[in-house]
Amino acid sequence: MLEIRNLQVDRGGNTICRVPRLTVGHAECVALVGANGSGKTTLLRVLSGLERAFQGDVAVSATMRERVYLHQLPYLFRGSVLANVMLGAVARKLPRRQQLTEAHQWLERLGVSHLADRQSGRLSGGERRRVALARTFITGARLLLLDEPFADLDRSGIDGVCRAMAALPEATFLLSSPGVLPQQLADARVNYLDPPS
Amino acid sequence: MELLWNGLTGALQLLLELDPLVLHAAWRSLWISGLAVALAACAGVPLGLLLSQSQFIGRSLCVVLFRAGMSIPTVLIGLVCYALFSRRGPLGSLDLLYTQWGILAGECVLALPIIVTWTHRAVGGLDPRAAETVWTLGAGPWRRCWELISEARAGIALALLTAFARCLTELGIAMMVGGNVKYRTRTLTTATAVETARGEFDRGVAMSTILFLVALLVTVLHAWCNRGKKEG
Repeated sequence: MLEIRNLQVDRGGNTICRVPRLTVGHAECVALVGANGSGKTTLLRVLSGLERAFQGDVAVSATMRERVYLHQLPYLFRGSVLANVMLGAVARKLPRRQQLTEAHQWLERLGVSHLADRQSGRLSGGERRRVALARTFITGARLLLLDEPFADLDRSGIDGVCRAMAALPEATFLLSSPGVLPQQLADARVNYLDPPS
Repeated sequence: MELLWNGLTGALQLLLELDPLVLHAAWRSLWISGLAVALAACAGVPLGLLLSQSQFIGRSLCVVLFRAGMSIPTVLIGLVCYALFSRRGPLGSLDLLYTQWGILAGECVLALPIIVTWTHRAVGGLDPRAAETVWTLGAGPWRRCWELISEARAGIALALLTAFARCLTELGIAMMVGGNVKYRTRTLTTATAVETARGEFDRGVAMSTILFLVALLVTVLHAWCNRGKKEG
């Protein structure tokens, strides 16, 4: 799915991300683990196309429309939770009825179906993340780049996210984590990132 | 003091009697200003969005020019419009001088920089993750624009209200381009000036009272939009 060689991102004269080599196969789940400042977010942003100033070779076999990136602090638009999740289906140009059905399904999988009609500004941190994850999963993207998807989540929230990820067997996941991964992701390949010196 | 008191009571009587001269001027002022803002918004909102989201050579200059355009005196706009619409002017064949449409065109020019500048500020002030999120979700350009406008709607509403208030209360364009023709191009501001100069103080106060009430309503709406912006 993707191959990186000698990736380096510099900003303000400092190197903020350095990845000598990384390969991720189709339908694989890879966790980027590293301390703060090791460049996990930058790497995910490079792969999502949001960060364009980099050196090195990055080859991704998914078009921009087939990739989706979830911010470390997800942004929710004004309006209801349901409207936010349906925004994720916009690129697929599905009929509205199908968008609604799928949005409810993803909210259900992530354990937040009761929040469908609530305004996005009235959610807790964990609820916001689960709603943002539902919006990310509904895109149908082949490559999902998730920046610390388990932050702010309690046990049931983590279970919900892992359950939702399992519902996308064809998708490739690249996710970042500052430390230990949940038990449900024991099979995920871990790639350690060292802070660039 | 007595003059003002007599003016206020006379104005109240005119308003209660639905004086045709006052009502015509009020209605004309409202529809011309409203339509001018609506037309200017059709160009101004997309322009403000473009200036806030795109990078191109001369962008900063455009921002500065539109910002400067907010403080152009209305008599100057009136003068330029007069020159353009007069019989010898380049747009003389359109016969816009001393018509409501001439005032409308001038007020569009007045409203445009206000709407562009405030939209640019409103959209540019959004969290950068908003644009990134809608892009990474795969939305097309139109949908991306729509989501950003929707997200900055409180700020854009402020832009429209500010432009409306400025158009409604301006005198220079209405006087120079409209010519203050009774029942044809007379607006609240020109009527206030003329009626007061003629000694019709009651009527002048009546016109000013309507202007004040509309300005008050706009201010209340302005404050309400601002509240929504802070909560958002």
